[in-house]
This record gives sequence, structure tokens and C-alpha cells, in this order.
Amino acid sequence: MTHYQMGNPGSYPYLLALWLLPLVGAIVAWAFGPQLKRLAGPLCSALLGASFVATLLSWHDATQSVATGAANLVGAHQALVSWIPGFNFGLLLDPLSLLWTCIITGVGFLIHVYSIGYMEGDNAFARFFAYLNFFVFAMLTLVLSDNFVGLLVGWGLVGLASYFLIGFWFYKPSAVAAARKAFVINVAGDVGIMFAIFMIVASVHSISYGDVFGSVGSLSTPWLLAICICLFIGAAAKSAQVPLHTWLPDAMEGPTPVSALIHAATMVTAGVYLVARCAPLWSQSPDAQLLVGSIGGVTALAGAILGCVQWDIKRILAYSTMSQIGYMIMGVGVGAYEGGVAHFFTHAFFKAQLFLGSGIIIHALANEQDVRRMGGLVKKLPFAFVAMLVGVLAICGIPGFSGSFSKDAVIYGTLQHGHPVLYAVGILTAGITAYYMFRLLFVTFLGAYRGEVDPSDLGIRHPELAGTHTAHDDHGHDAHHAPAWLMNVPVGILIVPSILAGWLLFGGENSPWAHFFAQQFPQATLATPAVSEMTTTLIVLACVAIGIAIAWRRYATRDAQDTAVERLRTESVKMPAILANAFYFDAALDLVFVRSSQLLGTLFGRLIDPQVIDGAVRETAFSAQWLGTFVRSFQTGLVRAYAFILVLGVACFLVYYAVTAGGLH
Amino acid sequence: MLVLSLVLVPIVVGLALLVVRNENPTMSRTIGALVALYTLVAAVASHGSEWSYRWLSRPFEASFHFGDTAISYWLVLLLAICTLCAILATNVPRQRAFIAQMLLLEGAMLGLFLARDLLLFALFWDLMLLPVFFTLLGWGEHVATAWRYFIYNFAGGLCLLLATAAFGMLFGSTDVIGRSDVHLVGAWVPWIFWGFAIAFLVKTPVWPLHTWMPLTYSDTPSPMVAVVSAVQSKGGLYGLIAIGMAFMPDYLKAYAGIFVVLGVISLLYGAFVAVTQNDAKRVVAYSSLSHLGLIVIALASFNATALQGAVIYIVAHGLFSAALFLILGFVESREETRSLVRLGGLGAANPRLAGALCIAALAALGLPGLAGFVGELVILTGIFQAGFTIPAILALIPIVLASAYMLRLFQGIMNGPEVPDLPVRRDLGWLEGLALAPLVLALVVLGVNPHALTTFDASAYNAVASTLQGGTR
Repeated sequence: MTHYQMGNPGSYPYLLALWLLPLVGAIVAWAFGPQLKRLAGPLCSALLGASFVATLLSWHDATQSVATGAANLVGAHQALVSWIPGFNFGLLLDPLSLLWTCIITGVGFLIHVYSIGYMEGDNAFARFFAYLNFFVFAMLTLVLSDNFVGLLVGWGLVGLASYFLIGFWFYKPSAVAAARKAFVINVAGDVGIMFAIFMIVASVHSISYGDVFGSVGSLSTPWLLAICICLFIGAAAKSAQVPLHTWLPDAMEGPTPVSALIHAATMVTAGVYLVARCAPLWSQSPDAQLLVGSIGGVTALAGAILGCVQWDIKRILAYSTMSQIGYMIMGVGVGAYEGGVAHFFTHAFFKAQLFLGSGIIIHALANEQDVRRMGGLVKKLPFAFVAMLVGVLAICGIPGFSGSFSKDAVIYGTLQHGHPVLYAVGILTAGITAYYMFRLLFVTFLGAYRGEVDPSDLGIRHPELAGTHTAHDDHGHDAHHAPAWLMNVPVGILIVPSILAGWLLFGGENSPWAHFFAQQFPQATLATPAVSEMTTTLIVLACVAIGIAIAWRRYATRDAQDTAVERLRTESVKMPAILANAFYFDAALDLVFVRSSQLLGTLFGRLIDPQVIDGAVRETAFSAQWLGTFVRSFQTGLVRAYAFILVLGVACFLVYYAVTAGGLH
Repeated sequence: MLVLSLVLVPIVVGLALLVVRNENPTMSRTIGALVALYTLVAAVASHGSEWSYRWLSRPFEASFHFGDTAISYWLVLLLAICTLCAILATNVPRQRAFIAQMLLLEGAMLGLFLARDLLLFALFWDLMLLPVFFTLLGWGEHVATAWRYFIYNFAGGLCLLLATAAFGMLFGSTDVIGRSDVHLVGAWVPWIFWGFAIAFLVKTPVWPLHTWMPLTYSDTPSPMVAVVSAVQSKGGLYGLIAIGMAFMPDYLKAYAGIFVVLGVISLLYGAFVAVTQNDAKRVVAYSSLSHLGLIVIALASFNATALQGAVIYIVAHGLFSAALFLILGFVESREETRSLVRLGGLGAANPRLAGALCIAALAALGLPGLAGFVGELVILTGIFQAGFTIPAILALIPIVLASAYMLRLFQGIMNGPEVPDLPVRRDLGWLEGLALAPLVLALVVLGVNPHALTTFDASAYNAVASTLQGGTR
């Protein structure tokens, strides 16, 4: 095992503080919620703000480079505890985890403040902030861990926080079902990481990143590929990659700030973090890179297509999140780590802003989420319009806005790393993105307000189901509202990085971004593509322009605005079944996993247990006591005993061969 | 003497409670709790000490020999804690007699885990059936369940007794548990091995010997079933380690395939059935079948890491299954049903009860940060290391299923709209909270810092020592 150390060992109080402060907040808000009442929100926000300050204070530790012998150590490494013998826990703050930590605590803080306004009046106000702070702690555990088991612990705990927050309004059956679905799919992902850990421990005898990445060279190619695939199962489940994405749109059952923080800015990007963190593994396995890049591409495209046919404002944003994470995964998958990670960075700002902006709309319209029942809001909610407009321009990659820099970096990166198909997918998706995001903007803000129109005239079949959460008492709104600035100020602040964050990438090789990650990622030898970066940007822009033009024609011309009700109904009614059912992923997963498990369970529990096993035991063992019934039992018992032995034999036979095939002894 | 008192005090007090005529439920609960607390304190105080008195010299040597070993210490602590919590949570008709049965059960099981003599072990193995049997007759829902429990386990006990006798004849002494220099050889050993093994597999239980278990677990009153599922079921696993692995390692190794196969089937079978059960207690019962199947695989894999994980998971499973059964008992006593179809929406009015059930269910589904996860992860790492690739892969499926059935259990009871005609009564009382607190706390503490449980000294058993050379790389 080559000696490979990550981070400069030492004692870093700021690092510990930034990690533990949200946990303190969660415990206090949970334990003393009834006493704290309204104070829980400011308290948890303040603790997270302090955590953000601690992050900034540890900036120097995280980015300092210490030359020790052969290697340059970047970052801070704080040893914690020996968990069980051989499994040591510690925290690692290097540029990569620092980036995530900044977003988690910084954007997290803004969303906390926003939530004080948004959740005002909810009966479980303190519980909400306890969960929110707990999420931040779990997410920090995930990104700060210096080993795979710690990562898995964080991975599981963010899943739990997500479960709690999706099912926050636990009296709604739809929220309960969505929460369980999200959790179970994510456990399937956890299991993938678990299996990767088995393989890592079996081959490297260590779980720490440093040891594992240091011994990549000693791993055989198929073994490395298997580890990468298993890790990616976890990444795909958490980051809503096809086909494990179906939980994300349903997760919109949670309160809107939750969607902004967990299901857009931070948790769902954990898969991107994992791939970027394990860059030394991926870089040695081109097959794994191809797989991850392709799945990212498919997800980007599928999410964008499905985003075009949604009516629920949050579901549109959910599919766009899925699509944008597809970009990130595509970027880090093919080896364009800096680009993929940059897209995470800019996306966190503009997507949080889009969600918070939509939250202002939902809040103002008493929990209306169906865009067909909106319209004309530009006059009613001008601030929300500005916020949404900036977000839309950023996500579409309009030059100068943050999204353009990072998205172009990903798209061009695919070409640089030799994946022209993914390059084409990236460009196509950019066009579709422009279409559905402007569709959202036009339908919501232009034309006349349609909230008073009969839902059936708009083609809404089941008003109580179709995204319109008519449960107006969701928040248990009472008369006094929190001041609007609590919600507006965080959104206003987010506008700045939504526009400017991308400029960090300006300057290519000499940009601050490239400098920041100079020692983070393995450098691959890049091809010099036939298409230049500038040309790529222009092609993307052309596609975006086409997308906007189509959206304009369909939803924004004077004629389209006048006949909006008619047009929306036609579009709703005539939607192709395959799109309305989101490519049948849900139905397929349900059939293959849920139904089949239930069938097996019923078969075992209703038939084999009481009839076959018990029948055999009962009749062969006990009825012999009564000689008079012996003959009868012999007849009926024999059949059951036969069936019993048959089942027993077949089961043992199958499993035995499965086991021996796996290398028993 | 302190060790001896651990066994005798619960039994004597239990018998005394059977004959006194004071029907005050609080009084008998207080006495029971004090006795359980005494056993907990005495178990810690007497750690490492032994007490022995020669019983037989012919045809083989046998002694009344009590004392804990590296593994049984944890089981004794688990038993004392679970009994204490269960007695605090007891609220049944004819309380006095029920508490008496609980104490007799604790005494018999303490005898089992503290026995350093095989004959003594076999004696207590059968003795510990009686309190459960009588409880099923007196408080259970169906008489047939009591008989089924008794006949299955007594048949196992008979095998155990015969095997013990044969062991004694062959080796000349049964005063062997905890010794590392006993290695049985001879033509009879496979028979002896299977005599022990059948008793252990019935008790655990393992598929297809499990069908007494769901009925017993759902019919027995919750405080008793909490102890039975948490600790009594571990008797079989403890036996596999302390007897099978220690004295007949070659045979356990030779038949490892069978154990692994039965373990894998139990693991999958239990999980699939648990997904579809509507009786809350049966969900937990079948989840037990699934979880304990994993431990059977761990023991058969002959890997030091897996063995370490098995010890952690034995304790973790004890804690969360006891907590789950106690909480389901609280729910049943309030709502007079345990059907997941009928229940729902209790969380709004019972936040503390919901919180407790949530933590217990999360521990059971293996949430990282709680004790169940540590056991699962370490066991599976060890199994995989030992070369059991396919079982390790198959064992991942029940982890996903566990999240499905445990959340179904939790949400089915606590979430959703409130059911109007359910008699929602009150949230967790202080006594009920006190009963759950140690279990929940231990689940968190062991999940965050499982270090204490891994101090188990593998070299205490020659089998394990030889495992270390043979099993791991």
C-alpha cells in the first residue's frame, strides 16, 4: 500500500465547530421545541450562520498546501475516534469538501431565514427547524468524512432527514407515501455503497480515502470497475439518476424550503460529490467513466423532456433539478471534474432561488401549485417575477449569468474527454431546458390570472390530486403573517451569486476556479477537439434561442395569451400517455420490485408457512399419536410432507449452488 | 456467591410471588423491577468471577458451575436490562402472577448464560421454556400456541440433552463451557454436533423450523415477548458460539454450507413475509427471523470480523426488538388492536410514543448511526472477506426490504390521517418512558460508539483462534 495521505493532520477547532453547531441546534430545537416556540427558527438559523462563519474561518486551513516529502498535502485533517478496530473516523476539509460546506452552510443559512417566514404559523414550527438543522449536520458529515463508512453514515442520515421533511405534513397520505418511497429507493443506493465498502475492505483493508486512493494501482481492472459501479448505485439513487429518479418528483410533497435546500441545492448533489471525491478511482476505470457519463446524459435529457409536460410548478423544477444533476454527473463522470463541480456550485444558487421564488408564489396563492391556475402574476408579484427571471436566465445559460459558464464547461468537457455523443446530448438538453423554463415563466407570469377559472376548463381532471394541494390548512395559517422581508431578503441575496458565481470560471486555465482546484483532481491528457470552446458556446446559444422562441410562440404571443385557457386545456388533454406517465418508470419499478416482493411475501406467509411447513410437521409428527387416525394422516400427511420436502429440497439446492458458485471454501 | 445469587434471586422471588396473596399491581411491579435491577448491578459486579460445586463424578463429571464469559457477559447485561424495562412496562391482568413468570424466566435464562457446565446449560435450556409456556396458557390468545411453542422447543431440548449426555460420556466431563482446550473428536461427534445444532436452530429460529415463532410472538403479552425475542432467541446463537464453535469447530466448518444456506433462506424469507403482514407484532416477528438469519451466516462464515459483528448485532437486535415489542404493547393496550390496516394517525396525539417507535424502527432497519447498522456492516464485511460473495449480495436485499416493512410499520401506526373511531388515549406515561429510555439510549450510544462491544476477546475460544488462521486472509 503506497502511503497516501489526505489533508494536513492537526487540530482544527473551527472545523469541529462548523460540523457540530447544526447538531446542537437540532437537539435543542427537538428537545425544547414546545418551550422555544417561535424562537426555534431564529436560533437554528443563527447556529447555522455561525457554522457558515466557522467555514469561512477555516478557509485558510482547507486550502493551505503543506509540502511534506514527496507529496503536497492540501486541506485540514482532524482525527476523531476509532469507531471499531480498524475503522477510524476523522474529518477532512480540502477544497472539494470546502466548496460543498460553503454551499451547505451558506445557502442553507439563507433558506433557514426564508423558512422562518414561510413556515410561520405551522403547528410544528420547532420540529421543522430541528429536522432542517439535523439535515445540515448529516450533510456535513457526508462531505467532511475522511472515509467511506463515515460517508455512508452521512449518506444514510441525509436520507433520514429527507424522509422526515418530505413527510413533514404526516397527516397527508400522499406525503407519507412519497417519504417512504424516497427512503426505500435511497436505501437501495446505500446498499450499493455498502457493497463497495465490502470490496474495498476486502482488497485494501482500510476505509480511509487516503489508503484507498493510494492503492488504486494494486486493484485489478474488473475489481475497480465493480467498486465504481457499486458506488455509483448509491450516487444514482441519491442524485435521482435514471432509473432511480422516481422519488424526486414525489419528494415535492415536502415544504418548499425543503425542496430548495435538500432536493435541489445540496443533498441531491451528493452523488456528484461522491464521484468527484473518488476521482482517483474513476480516472483509472474508463468503463466506469463511460457508464456514469452516459447515465448522466440520459438523465439530463429525460429530465428535460419530462420537465416540458409538467403542470405543478414544483414538479417542473424537480425535473429540471434532475436534468441539471444529470449534467453534473455527466461532467464528473467523463472526467471533467472542475466543470461538473462548478455546475453544482452555480446550480445551488439559481435553483435555490427558483424554488424560493416559487415558494413566494405558492405562499401568496394559498398553496396553489398548478401553473395552469396562475397567470398574470407579473403585476401581482413583481419581486417573485424578477427572482424567477434571473433564475431562469441562469439555468438556461444566457451569457453572463452563472449557469452559462458551468454548463458550457460541462458540455465542452465531454468533448475534450472524447465523448461526442454526450456533447450532442448536452447541447440538445440545453435547448429543451430553455423551452420548459420559459414555458414556466410565461405561463405563470403572463396573460390573465386564471385562479378563478373552473379547473375542468383548464383540463385539470382531479383538482384535488393534480398537484393543487388544496389542503389550505397545510400551514394552519393564522391571521398574522411574518414580515415579507424574511422571505424576500434571502431571495434577493441569492440573485447576486445567481448572476455572478459563474465568473469565477472566467479565464480558463488561469481562472480562480482552476487555481482553487489545482491540486484536487487527477489531470487527464485532453484531446484538442475540432470544435472550439467559443463555437460550442455559440451552438448552445442557438439551441437555447430556438427553445425560447418555441416557448414564446406557444405561450407568450398576444394571441397565445388571449386564448391561454383553451390552449392549456388542449395541451393537458392531448398529452401523450407515455409522457403523462413519465416514461412508465414508476410503473415498471412498482411491478418489478414492489409487486413481486408482495407476491413472494404473500406466497411464503399465506401458503408455505401455514400449509406446507406446518401441515407437514403437524400431520407427520403429531397425528401418529392417535392410532385410529393414523391411516388418514398417512394419506393426507404424505402429500404435504412430500410438498414440504420438495420445497425444502429445492430451496436448499438453489441456494447451495448459489453459495458454492460464490466461492465457498 | 454473587454469581449464584444472580440465578437464585429471581427464581426465589418469582416463586415467592406465585404464592403470596397481595394483588397490588404496583407492588408486584416494584418488586420485580428491584430484582431485575439487582441482577443488573450484580452482573456488573460479579463480572469475571465464578462459583462451582461438584455435582456428579460418574458416569462423567458435572458441576454446578456458574460464571460469565466474554460473550455471555453481554447477553447477561442485555437480559437484565430487557427484563427491567419489560417489568417496568408491565400492565396486565393478574399482574402478580405475570411478574412472577417474568422473574422465573429471567432466572432460568441467567442460569443458561452463566452456566459453565453443559449439563447445567441443558437443564436451564428446558427450564426457561416453562415460564413462557405458562404465560401463553394463562395470558395468551390461543392454547394451541402454547403447546406448539412447548413441543417444538422441548423437542429441541431433548436433542440437546441427549447430545450433552453423549458429550459427557465421550469427554468425561461436561464442566467445559469457556474452556479453550476442549476439542471433541471421534465417530460420534457429528451426532453430538447435530443434537446441539437442532436445538439451537429451533430456538433461534431458522427456516424451516420457525413456524412456532410468529404465533408465539404475537400471542404472548408484550413484556414477555420482548424478553423472549430479545434474549431467549439468542440462546441458540450463544450455544452455537460457546459450544458448537468452541468444541466442534471442524464440524461447524464442515457443515457451514448448510448453516449458510438456512441462514440465507431465513434472511430472505423473513423479510419478504414481513412486508406483507398486517399484524404489527408479526411484522417484527418475521423481521427477527430475517435478522437472526444474518447472525447464523456470520457464525458459519468462520471469520473474526463477522464474529465480532455477530456479537454487536446480537446485542443490537436484542435492544431494538425489545423496544419494538414494548412499544407495540403500549399501542395495543391503548387502541385494542395491532392491525396495521386499522391503526393510523396516532403520531399527532402521541408524539413521544411516535418518536420512540421511530428510533426503534430505524435501528431495526439498519440506519447508520444506530446500533443495528454497525452489526450489519461488520457482519457483511466479514462474510464478504471470508469469500461468501453470493450470501453477502443476497443479504443486501433484506436491508432494502427492512426499510420498506419497518417504515410501513411506523407509518401505518403513527402517520396518515387520524382514524376517528380509534380510542386515542394518552401519550407515553413517565413509567412507560422510563421503560423505553434505556433501550433507546443504548441503541444510540452503541451506534455512535460500538467500541465497548468489540473488546470481546476472540482468543478465548480455540475454535475462534483457529478461525483466525483459516478464515481471514
